[in-house]
Amino acid sequence: MQLKTAIVNNKITKSLKKTLTFILCATALLAYGQDTIPSYKKRVLETVEIDFLASYYSQDGNNAAVTGGIGTEELTDRVSSIVVSIPLNDDDILKIDANVSAYTSASSSNVDAFDSVGQAADPFVASSGASGSDEWVNGVIAYSHSSDDRNNIWGANISVSKEYDYFSIGLAGNYTHLFNKKNTEVSISGNVYFDQWKLIYPEEIRDYFDEDVPEVFALNGLPTDKRNSYALGFGVSQILSKRAQGSLSLDLVQQEGLLSTPFQRVYFADKDDIIVGNGFQFADDIERLPSTRFKIAVGGRLNYYLNEVFVLRSYLRYYKDNWGITSYTASLEAPIKIGDMFTLYPSYRYYNQTKADYFYKANQALSTDEFYTSDYDLSRFSANQFGFGVSYTDILTKVNLLGFGIKSINIKGSYYERSSSLSYFMVSGGIKFVQD
Amino acid sequence: MKKILILAIALGFLSSCAVVKEYEKVNINDPDMALGDKAIKRFETNAQAYREAASGANGGKTGGGCGCN
Repeated sequence: MQLKTAIVNNKITKSLKKTLTFILCATALLAYGQDTIPSYKKRVLETVEIDFLASYYSQDGNNAAVTGGIGTEELTDRVSSIVVSIPLNDDDILKIDANVSAYTSASSSNVDAFDSVGQAADPFVASSGASGSDEWVNGVIAYSHSSDDRNNIWGANISVSKEYDYFSIGLAGNYTHLFNKKNTEVSISGNVYFDQWKLIYPEEIRDYFDEDVPEVFALNGLPTDKRNSYALGFGVSQILSKRAQGSLSLDLVQQEGLLSTPFQRVYFADKDDIIVGNGFQFADDIERLPSTRFKIAVGGRLNYYLNEVFVLRSYLRYYKDNWGITSYTASLEAPIKIGDMFTLYPSYRYYNQTKADYFYKANQALSTDEFYTSDYDLSRFSANQFGFGVSYTDILTKVNLLGFGIKSINIKGSYYERSSSLSYFMVSGGIKFVQD
Repeated sequence: MKKILILAIALGFLSSCAVVKEYEKVNINDPDMALGDKAIKRFETNAQAYREAASGANGGKTGGGCGCN
């Protein structure tokens, strides 16, 4: 049965890789081609646009994966982004997207079992260990070309991400075709990510991964430090009436390589607990997960223009993967226009998921199991998210700054609570400038 | 098979809609009717990709490119 599953997985991977290669090559070739030029055409993007975006995120909970499902999940994250869209000519747009995220994580600080003065860590308190904070930097360069009749759009992008223990490079291509008097739109996209981990194990068992450790103490090192992801996406959108439009999208994703996190602890039911200091439990092992994962996600959106004041925006998603997780997502946003310039955005989102086959609460997995994790992100839970945003839009860009007019300002706050102990709130904001 | 059938019916339903002409798209072209998300939504979608096992079909991450699920 396992052999059959492996063969099927292998076939899916090969098929996905071939399709992605074809899409990327076809996109590049088609984008290179030129269209006949009509006497007049509207520019795809009139002028340079700049988006300044930022967010503050704060989370808490008591099921940290780093400390085997027991311990603080306190984490804060500040992100700043700048997105610059440049019209290269009537048809082509170059977009540069740069992001910097600085985070502090109490649970990550507990990768170190002892703090900077040699005292045992507390799973419910941030340690002063070196791993408690990090920065994530990311850059994306995207190019898109539209045909003269604007019914065909090709795009490609390259992305790079880096944090202390993680490096990623990604390539993507997409093609969109509009027809039926621009009432119907179909799209296909493909992207690949090649990621590399720096393997950092929990401090107290780090030495047990060394090759010269006696067999009785030795722990198996991870077979690879690489993770490859291949995704294929299909979309169709349709104007349904003068007031309604909707879309369906399908994503197929195959991942291979290191799909676990090297510093997340697991505590076994059949091993004696070693507890030091204020209840800090030493790891029996790190989490271990299969080296392949296949995901499928189907999403649908339906937007309805009620009247000049109200719009309804809805979204549904079904997700399933071969780790045993099935999930449903539903969200509703109801923009309310207050005059010509201001809009309010109340929103609600519901999410649920079943647990992964390999999820165990602390001290429940057995050392004889092949795969195990106590990461509550892979547990069974449901979650509710409430949001409220305000938007200011000035299509005439009357407020001007250094040759750029302010087109819109957005701010939004969200509160998320899930049935496990985790909750978070975040505030996001953005200002869009357009060149005069 | 059942899901493919539902998808095919949905696609058939979509393609059978009456054509809305350009000058009739005033409401459809309202910025709040866009099928994509606002730029600031990226932070929310990103947080969900980290904190939930499911991802994809929402314009955000599908897996890879981060230490997320």
